[in-house]
Amino acid sequence: MIEIVEASKTYAGGSGRPAILALDGVNLTVRASEFVCLLGTSGCGKTTLLKIVAGLESPDSGDVRIDGRTVAGPGPDRAMVFQHFALLPWADVLSNVAFGLELRGMPRPEREQIARHLLRTIGLEGFEHHHPRQLSGGMQQRVGLARALAVDPEILLMDEPFGSVDEQTRRLLQDDLLRLLERARKSVLFVTHSMDEAVRLGDRVALMTPRPGRILETVDVDLPRPRPPDVDRNPRLIELKEYLWARLRAMHAATGD
Amino acid sequence: MRRPVTDGVWTRRAEWGPAVLSVLAGLALWEIAARLWTIQFLPPFSTVVQTAVRMTLAGQIVGNLGFSLGNLAVGYGLALVVGIGVGLGAGRYRKIEYALDPILAGMLASPKLLFVPVLYVMFGVSRGAQIAVIFLSAVFIIAANTMSGVRTVDAATVQMALVFGASRRQLFWKVLLPASLPLTMAGVRLGMGRAVAGMITGEMFITLSGLGAQLRTYGNRFDAAGVFAILLVVVAVALVCSRGVRHVERRLTRWAEPTT
Amino acid sequence: MRVGVRSVNRDREWRLGLGAASLLAVAAVWQVAALMVRSLLLPTFTDTIAACARLAASRDLWQALWVSNQAAALGFLSAGVVGIAIGLVTGRWRLAEQMVDPYLNILLAVPKAALIPVLIMATGLGLLSRVLVVFSFSVVSVAVNTRAGLRLVDRSVIEMAHSFGANEMQLWRKVLLPAALPGIIAGLRIGLIRSVSAMITVELLLLALGVGRLIMTYQDSFQAPNLYATALFVVAEALLLTQALNWAERRAFAHIGQAVVE
Repeated sequence: MIEIVEASKTYAGGSGRPAILALDGVNLTVRASEFVCLLGTSGCGKTTLLKIVAGLESPDSGDVRIDGRTVAGPGPDRAMVFQHFALLPWADVLSNVAFGLELRGMPRPEREQIARHLLRTIGLEGFEHHHPRQLSGGMQQRVGLARALAVDPEILLMDEPFGSVDEQTRRLLQDDLLRLLERARKSVLFVTHSMDEAVRLGDRVALMTPRPGRILETVDVDLPRPRPPDVDRNPRLIELKEYLWARLRAMHAATGD
Repeated sequence: MRRPVTDGVWTRRAEWGPAVLSVLAGLALWEIAARLWTIQFLPPFSTVVQTAVRMTLAGQIVGNLGFSLGNLAVGYGLALVVGIGVGLGAGRYRKIEYALDPILAGMLASPKLLFVPVLYVMFGVSRGAQIAVIFLSAVFIIAANTMSGVRTVDAATVQMALVFGASRRQLFWKVLLPASLPLTMAGVRLGMGRAVAGMITGEMFITLSGLGAQLRTYGNRFDAAGVFAILLVVVAVALVCSRGVRHVERRLTRWAEPTT
Repeated sequence: MRVGVRSVNRDREWRLGLGAASLLAVAAVWQVAALMVRSLLLPTFTDTIAACARLAASRDLWQALWVSNQAAALGFLSAGVVGIAIGLVTGRWRLAEQMVDPYLNILLAVPKAALIPVLIMATGLGLLSRVLVVFSFSVVSVAVNTRAGLRLVDRSVIEMAHSFGANEMQLWRKVLLPAALPGIIAGLRIGLIRSVSAMITVELLLLALGVGRLIMTYQDSFQAPNLYATALFVVAEALLLTQALNWAERRAFAHIGQAVVE
């Protein structure tokens, strides 16, 4: 369980630029096995918040706790999936998936076995010895996803993971993600700027306002789980998307974006 | 702006056709011009080739060539070890980078011949001094590029490794080091060019032996054919070395090439 | 990695402090080594600094620098003009590039000092030969970097300009030249360093003129402090010019990426 309490973060300006208040008193809770989407426009601090939960940065004030303990740095309970994949270009797919395990000191045969299993699950069997540049964007992100799952984290942090691929691939990856989470339940904090994606994937959607970043409101997504294949025609889904879009439009108008 | 080289020998031939034609045309122009107007300092290409062959057969080239290449091997080899080592250290530890920065900047901008007096004190007028010139010519650019390579690794990759729990040491050996290979190899390639230049310049100045010394001797004698013949050998050496390094570079950094 | 406001400032302090410290260390090692070795060719650091002050006040040094830099300036300017022209032509038209490339590659790989005997034989020992040497040292770098700068121009931007009806002249003025400018400046910077290097090299090797003659004279007469002081002045000149161009490069082009070929 993630508890973010009154988290604030300022980025120093330096060389003549003003300081930026990225986050201002953010409050958010992610319960165990809950899928929460952070939805907002560009520059509203979603990524900053994610990095704080990941332990890459710390808040200037406020508290971020995981299972009651304050976050003090990266840990084995959390793994992250990145928008631009962040794969190691010189290593093959198998090594990339096993990277997190390698850092933890797991011996090679063990970690390769886990990696192979995950590649099979994710549909990339046969590509073990390919290199990232030989793969399409969708495949690369699958590798990124496999890498995150390989370390069996309790919490998945995803930073617009499907933002760099085309829409068709995005849909397929979304389905893959949901399918994988059915098998192994995890808490997920998912950053996105797509209302469609937020509602299709999340149990709850937290709307963030930009400059400074704050959680405006959270919306419960009461759609059936697992998502039925015809969920796009579900009136409740359409209603939720309309609602979110209305709120986002108001945000744009308010900030003159 | 490049047309992709598709398969098929014919397409590839079309790629370097103009280049070959251009070189042949240049050589032809040289030959014709030199024969039409007897230019004192420009013997015809054919004469140069003849002279080169004659000199090689008379054993005048091989000795010097071997001497020069020996210097190059030692000087460049040392520059690689020291340059990459120091570059990695400076890339890993900021404090080393800060300390070395002004020295590197100064040495990179300076003509290396200026340091010959110091080299005379250290090595005397000897082969050691010649090797030292080669070393000095290459080591700084290698160090600078290696350092740059370690410093400019993609931030996302570093963050990814940190999220997955990499310690500082793991970050260096498993991420920064391999990621720095392209820039390091660029430094290695540039260093080779400078090492060859240092080899010739050093030998022209510290005229013990070697191709550079020979160039100077023949130049003083106004033996144009001899000078060009040796120049031919120098060009050949330079091209072989440069192509060789570039080949190694490409092999080692294939993963960094963008896909079309 | 957490970087806050305070550590950025501390960074700058470390940078200056450690830089100064290492220069002081070099001076210290130099002084100690000179005192221990006692060679006629290795003056102490302090003697060298004294010589620097003396030379700066005398006419000899400045006259020599003036003579030497004439060749460097003329050579660099001509290399700049010709190099940029070649770079732009080969960067824009593929056929030109293919035809000129082999020569550029050869010239790039060959140690230019090897060309000095040929140039001396051809043009004698005057200003022209020195200018030609400086020219040959730097023209290829300028050309290759200019071409690299031009290559950075995105294909789609050119197509966009064509779609709006731009003719060749407009394309150059509005799209190609502005975009290639970082590469051109980078090439000029490298060419400048090479010009200074060439200036010294040719004088030390074959032409007893200007600064080169000064250095050779001091060396032959074992006036070590003057010898090293002169060398320091040359290094200082090279550094000043480099920093000046670096500053100009950074000021103007912080926002554009660079492709640099050394």
